[in-house]
Amino acid sequence: MSNLFPTQEIGSLKKPADMLKKVKDPNVSDEEKIKIRNDAAILNIKTLEDIGLDIVYDGEVRRVEMYEEPVRYVDGFEFAGRVRSWDNKYYNKARVVGPVSFKQNFHAEEFKFVKENSNRELKVPITGAYTLADWSYDEHYKSKDELVLALAKNVVRPLVKDLVGLGAKIIQIDEPAATTHPAEMDIFRESINESVKGIDAKFVVHACFSGNDYKALAPQMPEIKAEQYTLEFANRDTWNEGVNDDARKGFQVLKLFKEHGFEGEIGIGVSDVHVNEIEPPELIRDRILYAAKALGDPTKVYVNPDCGLRTRTREVSFDKIRSIVKGAELARKEIK
Amino acid sequence: MISSYTFGIYPRSEELIEATRKNTENLASLFKTETEEYISAQKNADLGFISDPLLKWDDIYRPFSNLTSVNMSSLNRIYEMNTFYRILSFDDLNFIDSHNVIESNLDSSLPKNKTVAIPEPFTLAKLHTNKEFKTKEDFTISLAKMLRTELDSLVKSGFEIIQLLAPSIAYNKEIDFGVVSDALKIITDGLKAKTILHTYFGDVSPKIESLLDLPVSGLGFDITKTPASSIEKHSFSDKILTVGIINSFNTAIEKPEECIKQVDEINAKTKPKESYVSNNFDLEYVPKEFAMNKISVLGEIARGAKNV
Repeated sequence: MSNLFPTQEIGSLKKPADMLKKVKDPNVSDEEKIKIRNDAAILNIKTLEDIGLDIVYDGEVRRVEMYEEPVRYVDGFEFAGRVRSWDNKYYNKARVVGPVSFKQNFHAEEFKFVKENSNRELKVPITGAYTLADWSYDEHYKSKDELVLALAKNVVRPLVKDLVGLGAKIIQIDEPAATTHPAEMDIFRESINESVKGIDAKFVVHACFSGNDYKALAPQMPEIKAEQYTLEFANRDTWNEGVNDDARKGFQVLKLFKEHGFEGEIGIGVSDVHVNEIEPPELIRDRILYAAKALGDPTKVYVNPDCGLRTRTREVSFDKIRSIVKGAELARKEIK
Repeated sequence: MISSYTFGIYPRSEELIEATRKNTENLASLFKTETEEYISAQKNADLGFISDPLLKWDDIYRPFSNLTSVNMSSLNRIYEMNTFYRILSFDDLNFIDSHNVIESNLDSSLPKNKTVAIPEPFTLAKLHTNKEFKTKEDFTISLAKMLRTELDSLVKSGFEIIQLLAPSIAYNKEIDFGVVSDALKIITDGLKAKTILHTYFGDVSPKIESLLDLPVSGLGFDITKTPASSIEKHSFSDKILTVGIINSFNTAIEKPEECIKQVDEINAKTKPKESYVSNNFDLEYVPKEFAMNKISVLGEIARGAKNV
């Protein structure tokens, strides 16, 4: 990456309403649905490229969502039904009823398509073993450790290997459940290490914020075979400009990563995905500059939203990404 | 045979989920039909006490948003679950004097032997915010006063047994049991109903002595978190003991014979004043088909367990 502070997104974008309507229409043929999804993927890729992101993907526009999509293609799972996330939002939760195993590379077509239609660096998001296990009912394995490691070795590793064989160079392992159980960080560490064992690619781990401010994750970071973590910071930060500790409350935990000996890259979340307000580029600049100082090396800082933007409208999402790109440009000027 | 009950929020069917999302014309009738279905399932399982499945409740704290000066705020994760609740903001003291938000949100067709679960004050204070009180302790005590008026209404309308849901006491390591006790005393003093403090989402093994000293009629345990071996070290001769034997966090259906054996062992060692079996927490963590099976199995366990 030639630029300092490369910009990237995390994964999901809200699907275009037109596309959803058509792919749910029983009168639309399967061939037509494939074309509709392809068009939506190209729209996302080109929009992200035009905005100026350095690393792109397709906004996960073909996937149902991050849990249900992979589970559909893994042996050993059966869907049990929907379970509440909050209010009247639900997710389709599956039971593990037998040994889990990889059937097919369920992201292969998607990756090949994105590769053919973009000339930027690509970061392929996949769902990690720990999250797949944590969000499922286990009726088969004796313990959570056993299930997590079986998923890492028998599902995620073959998937990653196949994607790398197809030309993927950067794989982001999405683990929103990782930090929700601070006492299980050892299992999480092993799940990532087993998932990537023997595979030559750049691995990024995305973990959401869960209340303990990554304090449980920090000691594990040097032991996990990941070059980069994309993490949430903006949702706990102030909106005041400045590069001091008071202004950058949400980013202070970066110092803890360094104290624990982590020397890799951090994809810093500079945009809160839970609010519609657009962070001004000057605020994003200051968040980047603070992170560069806290990590002691500006080349270790990548810039992204906190998480996937699918809960925001497309307009808000793209405005947030535009501001991220501008903020990174401003930060580069300051460093020079 | 021992007594039994299920409590908390039960899962909506796929049809009801869709109806709530699309606000369909038949939504009200679906709520009614499905509530009746759950009440029948509990009766058919011969459960000792029957609860409203709370199908209209979006989370266990939501009825309190109807109190004066209480507003809904952001989403927050329910401890380590993949489920979220709305934080309530108690904006001034007026909430203490407004009341009847629980009973008015319950189904009126429940039979006489009815039970209900509400959050205990420490948990309510821990998971929600206020703009009036400088300390969590003061907030907790004020919430207890509000809850007492709720409980008085519930008792007046015939609820004989009330679970006080205490995930925060179970999950958090440092608990000021003095404050918990003072708050519970406000709730239970002279109340003409049995109160059971039910702990889940954390292992309370080191806290059982302190829990036994609290002014409640009994204690309930999630035995997937607090091992039976920890409970068995204590005498429950002056307390009710509820064993949360049905796991609401797994679709695997419990084997009645194994559960009966386990409950009998716990009761033989703890010699409780009264013994009950229940779910460990809200059945809504499994889809409806599994919840229905679990209600039926709970009845089987209760019928098979020995009354000590």
